[in-house]
Amino acid sequence: MKRIVTLGLLYSRSGSYARISEACLTGAENAIARLNADPTRSIAFESVSRDPGGNVDLYGPLCEEILAETPARHIIGCVTSWSRKEVIPTLEKYGGTLWYAVPYEGFEASDHVVYLHSCPNQHLLPLLNWTFPTYGRRGFLTGSNYIWGWEMNRLARETILAAGGDVLGERYLPIGAVDVDRMIDEIRATAPDFILNSLIGPSSYAFLKAYAALGESDARFRPDNCPVLSCNLTECELGEIADFAEGLIATGPYFRQEPRAFGSSHEAAADCAVQALADLLEDRTSEQSLNIGDLLQSPAGLNSGIDAKTHHTDQPVLIARVQDGAFRVVFDGGVLPGDPYLTRPVPVGAHHQLRIVS
Amino acid sequence: MRRNVRTVDLGGAHAIVLHRPHPVVTALTRQLQAVGLKVDACWPELQADALAADFVFFDADMGFDEQFPWTQGEAPMPLIALIGSEAPGRVEWALSTGANAQILKPIGDSGVYSALLIASHAFEARQALAANVADLRRRLGERQTVVQAVVRLMESSGSEQAAYAALRAEAMDARISLEEAASRVLARINCPTQGFPKGGAA
Repeated sequence: MKRIVTLGLLYSRSGSYARISEACLTGAENAIARLNADPTRSIAFESVSRDPGGNVDLYGPLCEEILAETPARHIIGCVTSWSRKEVIPTLEKYGGTLWYAVPYEGFEASDHVVYLHSCPNQHLLPLLNWTFPTYGRRGFLTGSNYIWGWEMNRLARETILAAGGDVLGERYLPIGAVDVDRMIDEIRATAPDFILNSLIGPSSYAFLKAYAALGESDARFRPDNCPVLSCNLTECELGEIADFAEGLIATGPYFRQEPRAFGSSHEAAADCAVQALADLLEDRTSEQSLNIGDLLQSPAGLNSGIDAKTHHTDQPVLIARVQDGAFRVVFDGGVLPGDPYLTRPVPVGAHHQLRIVS
Repeated sequence: MRRNVRTVDLGGAHAIVLHRPHPVVTALTRQLQAVGLKVDACWPELQADALAADFVFFDADMGFDEQFPWTQGEAPMPLIALIGSEAPGRVEWALSTGANAQILKPIGDSGVYSALLIASHAFEARQALAANVADLRRRLGERQTVVQAVVRLMESSGSEQAAYAALRAEAMDARISLEEAASRVLARINCPTQGFPKGGAA
């Protein structure tokens, strides 16, 4: 008889980032089904799901609903950093844990969150370091108008200027807004070497579509001359934009390959969350009610790959280019530990011992 | 004034928490270690190595002046007050220490990183301001020297304007302040054999 562990799922199935939510849910649900069917496992998960529908103000109350009304102490959920920051006070109040499966902008190490995707030392910094010698150091920065875009662009600006480059423009759109004409005009006027795109959802799709059209009419803006860089685009959104994302360059810990393991890095990270939690709770000394800080001190916790101090994880650094509608990895930067505050020494040779994958 | 907040210097920095053993210390230590700092807690006395620490967090509830091995308000590193009781007397005492930032107790999951950045920034700004004030004070104190030098130079140059111009030229040539140039002029006139800096007579 398996011990039942309740697991919360807090994802918006509608709204501007629903595709990412769906990818995370697929990863989590597949992992739950696999583990539940595994006879060697002593535990089985039952999930409780809440859907904030893309409304950031519903994350806190729905997180509270899961923690107050069900036995769940672990929740896999949240896509935007904004929503993650909304649920942290509730997690703190109930001793709950959020397993967060998407890239974010760093500068956080909550005792109640496990960070399973990349942070800037694992995505933005390697991407810029790879871009500079290949395309140049003159960048144009775009982003959605919230913490992800702001902080990514602040860090990009600092990195570009430190490398002797220039920031030719920095423009934001509210989440969901699609009026990209001004950005496109400014890019045409400034002719940068690359564009860092930290827009999300429909804003990002509209921008990529308009930028592809610009490239059609002016060769300076074709991907081989001035590529769009992204730290948040994965296969789960590529279907939407395949016609105008050709040449886009993205970084992430995982890109789909054959034989297919996961549809995207979001799916992989959510899978990893369920797997890691199962391993922590499998240990008889660990109980569902223990908070994550205590769980990570258990023997299973020390082996979990989750850093006990920062709750961040090692992530592969891959850079991929969209070619014929699919991501092709062009660079493998090895595996880096998460350094959310960028205070740890950069591993020796991290940017030099790397091998090109073509 | 907008300044870039530097985040790079926190890795490996040393923080001392002056607080009796308490969950506040545990929560603070966890956050500091997550950012990448080394942490030591002590109470009630700061150890000798506190003078070399990069940050000192102190309990504003139970703290007292004698805990700090430096003149009140002149800590050699950023100070951050841990405030539980908001009684005016305690806030006043926390202010008297020269605290550069504060964190309210109880300490939960966040707040330490921004306190580190704000305290560093405020500490540096205060240091720069203090250095400016000291320099201005020193120059103010040298007013009489400048007047004397101009008067003496007038004896050879004839007019006040020419004397002042000569003094300025001397300061600019030697890349020193007007006040310093005035001291040199007086030294030279009063004691001609020692008036020139080494090698400067040519």
